[in-house]
Amino acid sequence: MAALATARAERLLVTVGNPNVGKTTLINAVSGSRFEVGNWPGTTVDRLSAHCKLSGRSVEIVDLPGSYSLAATTPEEKIARDELLALKPDLVVDVVDAGNLERNLYLTLELAEMGLPVVVALNLVDEARAKGLTIDADLLARELGLAVVPLVASRGEGIGELCEQALRDNPAACPLVAYQPCIEAAVEELGALLEGAPERRWLALAALSGETVRLPLPVAERSESLRQKLEAEGVDPFLEIAGQRYRTAHELSQRVLDRQQAPPQLTEKIDRWLLHPWLGLPLFLAGMLLVFRFTFLFSDPWIEFVGAVQGVLAGWVAGSALPPVVQSFLADGLIGGVGTVMAFAPVLFFLYLAMSFAESSGFLSRAAFIADRVMHWAGLPGRGFIPLMLGFGCNVPAIYATRTMEDFNDRLRVALAIPFTACSARLAVFVLFAAVFFPAQATAVVFGLYLLGLAAGLTTAAILGKLAPTGHSSGAMELPAYRLPTLGLTLRQAWMRTFAFIKGAGGSITITVLVIWLLLNVGGGKPENSLYAQLSQLLVPVFTPLGVTDWRLVGALIPGFIAKEVVIGTLGVSYLGSEPVAALGLMDGLQQLGQSFLTACWAFLNAIPAMFGLPQLAPPAPEAPDGLAGALGTSIAPAGAMAYLVFLLLYTPCVATVVAIRQEFGRRWASFSVFYQLLVAYVLGLLAYLVWPS
Amino acid sequence: MTTVCHLEPDQNAQISRLGGPPGLMRRLVALGLRPGAAIRLVRRAPLGGAFQIALGDSFIALRAQEAGQIHLELS
Ligand SMILES: Nc1nc2c(ncn2[C@@H]2O[C@H](COP(=O)(O)OP(=O)(O)O)[C@@H](O)[C@H]2O)c(=O)[nH]1
Ligand SMILES: [Mg+2]
Repeated sequence: MAALATARAERLLVTVGNPNVGKTTLINAVSGSRFEVGNWPGTTVDRLSAHCKLSGRSVEIVDLPGSYSLAATTPEEKIARDELLALKPDLVVDVVDAGNLERNLYLTLELAEMGLPVVVALNLVDEARAKGLTIDADLLARELGLAVVPLVASRGEGIGELCEQALRDNPAACPLVAYQPCIEAAVEELGALLEGAPERRWLALAALSGETVRLPLPVAERSESLRQKLEAEGVDPFLEIAGQRYRTAHELSQRVLDRQQAPPQLTEKIDRWLLHPWLGLPLFLAGMLLVFRFTFLFSDPWIEFVGAVQGVLAGWVAGSALPPVVQSFLADGLIGGVGTVMAFAPVLFFLYLAMSFAESSGFLSRAAFIADRVMHWAGLPGRGFIPLMLGFGCNVPAIYATRTMEDFNDRLRVALAIPFTACSARLAVFVLFAAVFFPAQATAVVFGLYLLGLAAGLTTAAILGKLAPTGHSSGAMELPAYRLPTLGLTLRQAWMRTFAFIKGAGGSITITVLVIWLLLNVGGGKPENSLYAQLSQLLVPVFTPLGVTDWRLVGALIPGFIAKEVVIGTLGVSYLGSEPVAALGLMDGLQQLGQSFLTACWAFLNAIPAMFGLPQLAPPAPEAPDGLAGALGTSIAPAGAMAYLVFLLLYTPCVATVVAIRQEFGRRWASFSVFYQLLVAYVLGLLAYLVWPS
Repeated sequence: MTTVCHLEPDQNAQISRLGGPPGLMRRLVALGLRPGAAIRLVRRAPLGGAFQIALGDSFIALRAQEAGQIHLELS
């Protein structure tokens, strides 16, 4: 993909820099927001790139993942390093935090050793100034032998000059670090073997440091023996090389930096509250609640609106002269399928907004810092807390939210735990059954199911952690300065990711809905004769040990795969028969659409105060067709109903969740979660039936 | 000799040695935690378990196991 794109642009630029220094903001400013988002091939690390014209020349800019060094200590850093070597960019834009010069220059020194043309984008100058730091950019440029452009990327300051630099033919940077004689000798010897490679000095140093770099076999063998020789002489090449780079970075920054006394920074002041010994926890919980509510309260009106659009379209179909089967195919199959996909768009959009705000503002790192202790019980990192919590609203955005975790194994374990958490679609079924079968303890039953789901999820994660201990997932991370994200960039990124979901997952979800429509409608006539009824009856013996013997209850689990709340609608149809959809005229439909839109806007505005209201612990009143409660009450005993609820809570995640897992972790893990959850649901459902007093 | 785990808030120290598996050591060095660097403990996490330290112009969070691998000389 990258190779294809480079063929088109005249000039390829890459941005490299520590995490959170404004690389993405810079690309956004340079390209005028014309960027695309995707994944690095074969990974789920976000890839952002932009095509634009600068002074009439076509330029492609690729955002490399945030890196502290090119030693590839994280999957992100490995991508950055490999792509730097593979892409052979015309210019490397090294984005440097002016307020943290010394550590950022470490990377600059490494880049210079790679023999690539580099320009230093000295970003966050405003923040540095507030810290009392002044940097002599001209002196820095002379010391480094590189162009240095001071910037405030979030306000677009200095972008013009950076664009000019971006088009110049900058010469390759020269190495700046002088190592101990014994290391220099080894580097020279290896460099001679790598004659012709512009990055040979960096490669030789990396090999001596014991990093895994691709080298011709004789060179690799030679470097290994040189490394052992150095170690025998009492020199640790890795620490010696890194130490010398840091010493050089320190001396450089001392020369160009003027440090004045400054009042305590905003970041320290906020941290004093957010990480306070006792206030920290309540503020953390309040913050989590805010993220949760933001995601679900703001998306809810638009999900309702999607439902209203579906209703109107179905009404128009009902008013047409098409045969009933075609009408049903269009209304329930096609419109239903596309509607299922579209209903996820609002929630994903607001989730991406919330997560990208939390991440680039610096709050996410603090949340991880606090939650680390809690998640530690399940052997998970603190960053897993937010995705797990979001799972209670909807599992699909929660799966995508695992991306903020670094380690693949950790992410996978959280993702496999998420579908066990009771999302709000399941809540609808719980409250209905609880009201019918356990009216006296309805709240306790619903609450108990939530706890059961969470326990099943965390146990899964803990067991998987024991089976496959995580590599070197480390909790060591920077707590970056609090920064205000730019609105335009955040909105655009959220929109593009949502669009990517619709494109990537929409097809599979729609097809699943169509298949289930087919199942429900083939062999029609009387409902008892349909293919669906026959299949359900076949499954009844499987569920008899759980005390569920009515085919209609068993059958409803099948369309429950579309979304668990669909169970209620299906039960309604199979117990009470379906109500025909009222036909709608064109004008009536349009009027309904307009009205629903206004309602959605109004509900959206009302979500703002609701975000800050007190949490409501009592479950909502059941919503179901009249008469369904009575029909259910006679079809199953309470113990069976309990087993049914437990099974419904834990069985196969809904299709959108499965597709999300497939997108993020591959087909194998998606199938694993389907079968594993079926098994867990069956076993625990059986247990529930056996222990429930009947 | 002591480790980050034994520091009091606001106490300064210098890193003398890094222990632990090589992967962890490389990660720590990449974050700037190398032998010779001066650090200060800012605070422990509200629920315990983790440490926030100041290093140059940045703040770094460490879990207890990792903090225990950073050996210090008090200054
Ligand atoms: N004050 C200030 N904030 C900035 C500047 N550049 C970027 N930011 C903010 O820093 C945060 C991180 O930026 P981002 O582009 O996501 O960093 P990346 O991780 O390097 O891609 C965002 O909240 C930006 O709005 C700047 O020059 N000054
Ligand atoms: Mg970025």
